[in-house]
Amino acid sequence: MLILLWGLPGESPLAAVYEELVRLGIPTVLLDQRDVLDTEIELSVGSNIQGFIRTPYQNIDLGAVTAVYLRPYDSRRLPEIAKAGATSSAWQHAIAVDDALLGWSEITPALVVNRPQAMAPNGSKPYQLEQIRGLGFSVPETLVTTEPSAVQAFWECHGTIIYKSVSGTRSRVSRLGAEHVERLANVSCCPTQFQQYIPGRDYRVHVVGTEVFASEVISQADDYRYAALNTEATEIRACRIPQDVEERCRVLATAMNLPLAGIDLRCSLEGEWYCFEVNPSPGFTYYQQATGQPISSAIARLLAAGSCDRTSGGSDFLKTYAQGIANIVG
Amino acid sequence: MLVVVASRYDKAAEALVGSWAGQGASLLTCEDLSVVGWRHHLTSSKDSTAVVGGQVVGVEQIVGVLTRIPCVFEQELLQIVPADRSYVAAEMNAFLISWLSRLKCPVLNRPTPTYLLGPNWRPQQWLYAAAQLGIPVHPMRRYIALSGDVCPKPPEMPPVTVTVVGDRIFGSVDQALATQARRLADAAKVDLLAVHFSGSESGADFLGADLWPDISSPNVADAILEYLSGGGGKC
Repeated sequence: MLILLWGLPGESPLAAVYEELVRLGIPTVLLDQRDVLDTEIELSVGSNIQGFIRTPYQNIDLGAVTAVYLRPYDSRRLPEIAKAGATSSAWQHAIAVDDALLGWSEITPALVVNRPQAMAPNGSKPYQLEQIRGLGFSVPETLVTTEPSAVQAFWECHGTIIYKSVSGTRSRVSRLGAEHVERLANVSCCPTQFQQYIPGRDYRVHVVGTEVFASEVISQADDYRYAALNTEATEIRACRIPQDVEERCRVLATAMNLPLAGIDLRCSLEGEWYCFEVNPSPGFTYYQQATGQPISSAIARLLAAGSCDRTSGGSDFLKTYAQGIANIVG
Repeated sequence: MLVVVASRYDKAAEALVGSWAGQGASLLTCEDLSVVGWRHHLTSSKDSTAVVGGQVVGVEQIVGVLTRIPCVFEQELLQIVPADRSYVAAEMNAFLISWLSRLKCPVLNRPTPTYLLGPNWRPQQWLYAAAQLGIPVHPMRRYIALSGDVCPKPPEMPPVTVTVVGDRIFGSVDQALATQARRLADAAKVDLLAVHFSGSESGADFLGADLWPDISSPNVADAILEYLSGGGGKC
């Protein structure tokens, strides 16, 4: 058994999982992205996958890796690489290392939390919302448009609406107000996403394998993640959610092939549960610190359990996946 | 209406649209995404509209789509101020992924969340998928170091290409290779695929695959037209 973590050691979720794995005595290697210039990779792909990662401090046999936790940033954004510039060999090397490791993580039989392919739907919010709707959650009415008159009609129809990015870039939710009317003509430049505003209470649910950790978010902000910027208070506390909603979260994560997921829910004033988004690489420590929920410990156990099951032909996650699909179909 | 989603610089796509003029084919470029008229309702396609070749059309009028761009390139967004091009390209790309995925008509190929042309597999992923299907492969070796990478050498002989369009297979190859190509397309869940082999005989090695087949071949173009017109197309 060998667990590979890849990212920046000081980054909170990665550090928390690493600490748990060490505490549990599970063989773990942390590949520090900052060592990218000293990182060498050897990869051979045919009917099976073999390879090594070598740094001045480590020699990792990829064939021995049984589970992976991915938290990499784009290596081109590392100060050393950015400074070297796009034409430098350092830049090209960083791209090659990222590409090789992400490519390997797509096909390795090891448990990967989470595979890049499974994380990708989060990059197109309406695409992911359609997946979420298909898996049994209510989603807000959504319009993506270049037509100012269509926005006006949508606004009049729903009373209050919000706008947010279509992609994962600058993904922040804001309510549309009178101050935006003059700028509505700008939507003609690029399809822009608008959603019906759902009043209610926010919840963040972390699914780790089959474990579910729910927290309630008390905030007046349109997007509580940015509440502090407007000096608005946010309170997060552990809670229980109805069992059927909990089960739907499990099914959602499973069907989306995400052993780890951060699911954003809102319970409307009428008691209807809406899902806005599934975060495939959640910064769970923000919630763990506020609630005391042992999320990093659950991730560590998932990584260890996933690796144990590999030799018997499938992880717990895969079993849950099959069950989740059966539930959806059934 | 048939729609070809392509770069404004894609001459092959332009020629294809020209040859399909009788079928009402039109080119959809990134410029169309900066025109008033798009309405994409997520929960219903009723009242949804698109802009194709500068004209607003009802989505239900579109009977088939061929996609020829892997993503929206910011370099093509000349209508957008330079400072915003990168963000707008990401937004347009994310929008097209959703829009193309939701269409009820045949789409070659359906996009994936990372690639408008279909699954954005790296060469080693295609190779691994082929090997899992029992197709003969040569292991692909790669060595990456700051001192210099060693990448796979290109084949000494030009590869033999098999093009898959739905159930039709093009290329002068043994039937076994044609079958392998179709099986690989099934594994990738695509209906348009170019598969490269080391030779035309049974037992040839798989060399690679891509989602960018040569559409200038009249046979391939006809097969695409037939697929999009409902003959073998999957909705």
